[in-house]
Amino acid sequence: MNHGFLEWLQGTPLAVAVSEVWFPRVESLHVISMAIVAGTIFIVDTRLIGLTSTKLPFSYVSARLLPWTWSAFACSAVTGTLLFMSNATGYYDNGPFRAKMVLLVLAGLNMLYFQSVTLRGVVAWDSGRPPAAARLSGLISLALWCGVIGFGRWIGFTHA
Amino acid sequence: MPLVSLLRFSNWLSKTPVSLLIQSTHGAIASIQIVHILCLATLTALALSLSLRIAGRGLALEPLPSLAGRFVPAVWICLALLALSGALLIIAEPHRTVRNSVFYLKMALLVVAIALTLWFAAVARRGEEQPTKLRVAAAALYMLIWAGIIVAGRLIAYH
Repeated sequence: MNHGFLEWLQGTPLAVAVSEVWFPRVESLHVISMAIVAGTIFIVDTRLIGLTSTKLPFSYVSARLLPWTWSAFACSAVTGTLLFMSNATGYYDNGPFRAKMVLLVLAGLNMLYFQSVTLRGVVAWDSGRPPAAARLSGLISLALWCGVIGFGRWIGFTHA
Repeated sequence: MPLVSLLRFSNWLSKTPVSLLIQSTHGAIASIQIVHILCLATLTALALSLSLRIAGRGLALEPLPSLAGRFVPAVWICLALLALSGALLIIAEPHRTVRNSVFYLKMALLVVAIALTLWFAAVARRGEEQPTKLRVAAAALYMLIWAGIIVAGRLIAYH
């Protein structure tokens, strides 16, 4: 992506309004939705690893919590896009921002692999201890989301 | 406390050895902030699950006493870590918070959140599963209070 598009993006009236007025409020919404996304994922991941909620079937825990995760993720994505627009060139060139995006993509790929491969045999372990592949997937997800949050907070300490 | 005393306290705090150590350690404040926000995310999801369960939703397959027995202690652990990391952040940068009204708003909301957590724990201990109107309203208020705490926390940086 060249900077021409990003410069146009951050010059749009919406981006200027975020930059000049709305940034703290949009950022607050981003933190609330991020907390719900990551927090609910932590609960599902620790169930997957076999550490928490072990009396409940895995599919039940994920079915009850993931709708909240996805709704909050939609809010995170919208608010995150608005924040990005306010200083598109700055964030694009920012190291922690890039690292955060890479980890987000990896978290998505980990989830896709889990859903399409590992989860197929869920009937066998739904109420018990998940197999090594599932536990590993949960552990990877936990680590990646900690990274997403860590780099996300770090952006605020750099000159984006 | 008069504002002058708060300013003096803030100045004194910023020159204490712990404050100077955190200020002079590269990446220390950012690292503490990251711990603070990771605990916050965990706490938010615990609070959400607890309030949903109080309202008869969420992980409703698990009896309330059992779920609260797991989630309430986890809320306290998160709060303890948030208080510790938050205290370190105040010590490191007292001028950001000590005379900031938004910080005191956040602490006032925190008192309400703690009181509601204690009440939910008591309801759970008595095994009262029924999501009465009062409890559903309290559960909704609980999440609004946490949202308010998060917003106030973020806005500290802008006041």
